[in-house]
Amino acid sequence: MLHRRIQQFVLVYFLGLLSLLLVKYLLNLSDYVIPGPVEIWQTCKSVFARYVFNVLDTLWIAVVGHIISIILAFMVGILGRHNSWIGSLIKATAYSIQAYPIVAVAPIIFILLGDGLMTRLLIAVMICYFPLLLSVIGILSEPVDSIEHFYVSTKRMNWRLQVRIRAYENINKLTTVIAGSATMAVVGTIIAEFIAADAGIGYSIRTALYQSDLSKILTALFLIGISTSLYLTGLEWVGNVIQKKCQA
Amino acid sequence: MKLKKQQICWFSNIDGYLIVMQIECQNISYQYPQTDTHVFEHLSCQVTGPGFHALFGQSGLGKTTLARMIAGELTGYSGQIQSRQIYEILYTHNMERFPGWAGIGDMMESTIQASGRDMLNELVDAFGIQPVMNARFSQLSLGQKNRANLIRYLLQKFDLLIMDESLANVDETTRGRIIITLKTLFPEKCFLYISHNMMEIAKFCNQIVVLRSPCKHPQTSMISGQNLMTENNFVMKELEQTMLEIVHAS
Repeated sequence: MLHRRIQQFVLVYFLGLLSLLLVKYLLNLSDYVIPGPVEIWQTCKSVFARYVFNVLDTLWIAVVGHIISIILAFMVGILGRHNSWIGSLIKATAYSIQAYPIVAVAPIIFILLGDGLMTRLLIAVMICYFPLLLSVIGILSEPVDSIEHFYVSTKRMNWRLQVRIRAYENINKLTTVIAGSATMAVVGTIIAEFIAADAGIGYSIRTALYQSDLSKILTALFLIGISTSLYLTGLEWVGNVIQKKCQA
Repeated sequence: MKLKKQQICWFSNIDGYLIVMQIECQNISYQYPQTDTHVFEHLSCQVTGPGFHALFGQSGLGKTTLARMIAGELTGYSGQIQSRQIYEILYTHNMERFPGWAGIGDMMESTIQASGRDMLNELVDAFGIQPVMNARFSQLSLGQKNRANLIRYLLQKFDLLIMDESLANVDETTRGRIIITLKTLFPEKCFLYISHNMMEIAKFCNQIVVLRSPCKHPQTSMISGQNLMTENNFVMKELEQTMLEIVHAS
């Protein structure tokens, strides 16, 4: 799984790079705008080790942010699954906040908390959390009548059993949603670093942008792609293990 | 109606009068929400006393709808459903499933009290699902699924159990054996069995409510079944007569 995913990413990445170089040579753009392959390679070699550490720094924030988002989404999703007043309020709030681009809200967090770890984590959580919450609410609020009927009729149904039944019956959807939201966690962390941080690969991209150094940006993008692929593969593996255990 | 108390256990004494176990639908009218389709128009019927009774009718006439109304799962109808001496009504249908995270034996045990264990074993033997008690629900055949589902309902507290096609996909011999087991083990309970198997209903049921199309009045007809307590001890002519009555009524 990992091998194929990385292969696919590398293929897409080099196709993109090739297109960029094609544009450069077709439009006769200077090396200042789009550097040549040799310059890209040399820059890559010089910053690679530092960027690997930066990507790992970003990745752990993304993983922590993702875990927090999952826990929060399930906690609030369990409350929001009802068709009650509180459930409607939670859904309406989640939809409203989801409609806001979090990138536009992020500066407020930056102003309040300054740059640093908390800001990165909070923005990553916010970007990942709301879509995840809406999916979790959607899954947990869908009754599984064929199973729940017995427990409702015999007055044995409680919230824990209801959540367990619905989560178990939708385990495939839940693992897909969780794996899908991992990319949002990575994107959220990079955005946070881009606007409000002094570490991580997002911060490195911002620095490279100020230096108008496309080679560094391309190297960063390559490493982001590889690390995201690794994380996604790990999550899919965990998801498969859970699904197999459920079906055993 | 004054009756002797020792005659039957399903009568209770209120002020010297004995009240019989009964479920009665009076003047029920119902149409599905946001449609013009009338399922029932002034439908009335009643089932009296414990035992194995049936609700029979062609597909789409509203057997399940009526069953869910009696069980209190469906509202929004006009008319009244009254019950006497029936406090706990359960409704089960053949599309129900067990949660998949444990074997059906464990799932059944989690929904009964310790005192119900003997009854569980007896039912499991009678229903012939002993070999699959450790299997997950998804691993069972359709007939085994329905039998397992019925067992867990029988282990609950109920006065009336509505069985909506609960023995579908079960072979005829086993179905007969199960019905006789129910009649033997639960003589004081009331069962309302929904099935399309006319012979089975004519053979084993006591009172048969035949549901007719809403354009026919009255919308139900009551037939007396053979109410057999053994599988083969019946007079063919009488059985045929009951079946003919059902056909004419429907």
